[in-house]
Amino acid sequence: MDNNNIDFKDLWKKQTISQPNIEDLMTRLKQFKKTALRSLWVANFLLAITSVFIIFIWYYFQPQFISTKIGIVLAILSMAFYLTFYNRLMNNYKNIDANQTNHEYLQKLIEIKKKQQFMQSTVLSWYFVVLLTGICLYMYEYVSRMTVFYALLTYGITLLWIGFNWFYLRPKQIKKQQEKINQLIGKFEEVNAQLE
Amino acid sequence: MEFEQIYKTYWDRIFRLCMGFVNDYDIAQDLAQETFIIVWQKLDTFRNESAIGTWIFRIASNNCLRQIEKDKRFPKSDLPIHLSEEKQTSIEPQIQFLYKCIAELPETERIIISLELEDIKQAEIATIVGLSEANVRVKIHRIKEKLTQKFKENGQ
Repeated sequence: MDNNNIDFKDLWKKQTISQPNIEDLMTRLKQFKKTALRSLWVANFLLAITSVFIIFIWYYFQPQFISTKIGIVLAILSMAFYLTFYNRLMNNYKNIDANQTNHEYLQKLIEIKKKQQFMQSTVLSWYFVVLLTGICLYMYEYVSRMTVFYALLTYGITLLWIGFNWFYLRPKQIKKQQEKINQLIGKFEEVNAQLE
Repeated sequence: MEFEQIYKTYWDRIFRLCMGFVNDYDIAQDLAQETFIIVWQKLDTFRNESAIGTWIFRIASNNCLRQIEKDKRFPKSDLPIHLSEEKQTSIEPQIQFLYKCIAELPETERIIISLELEDIKQAEIATIVGLSEANVRVKIHRIKEKLTQKFKENGQ
């Protein structure tokens, strides 16, 4: 009675469909695996290279001051911490259990996106602070051997660079990412609300 | 069940579900493929607690929901895949209209009606979507009314 003779099921099933070969699917599967592996590699490779470089400096120049050593440790820790967080989040995201109801799945998506939001603001800021503290401490030993003028110049330039990052690049990056992610969270919440 | 068997059995149904969600042939094709990639990866974790159909439809519909994010990032698929392409050549306007109407519904309603049109039992739809059976029944009824209304307005 309610359909007034329109047979939706019949129409629905008349959609033209072409089923790709299973070989095509397998090609795509391989491609998919490769990209996933590569993105994991890029981020971690950078960390590894930087750490090796810093450790090399440690051995090669044999720093005397404890501040230098603390600086090195802080710098490495900050990067390791950030990347660990990032990797775990990405892993969570990729491995959301797809065999959940839509309702549960949406909630999971929202939860992960909120974590990402937290990472892009709070964790990123802490990363900056710890990394920069590390760099300043690290520099101290070398700068202390310079004349006052050069010492001031060195710290001046460094702090200027840090300031540029902190006051210009960081807020800009955060803003750009937050807009996107807030929009997305909003959308997922809206869809989720359809099921409540 | 062998993967190839699943692929052959379910491709059409999954494709239609995706098509109802996005109403774009290429994106639907992509979504359906992604679904089968997940199925392929997770097949060994499938336990016979639920019917395999329910399992696959859950994966497919969740993947559709996830597409919302990609929607914002890439307007179109950028994956070069060579399919045995024979795009919608001359599908009847009525069919096209049906898919268009469905894709304009709120996201979860698209999934619900698509599953209903695939002849999936309402109890099963309820376990795929995560609503009560009664709720599903009401929703299906309302969605069908909406669609009928649209068809009438359009003089189909």
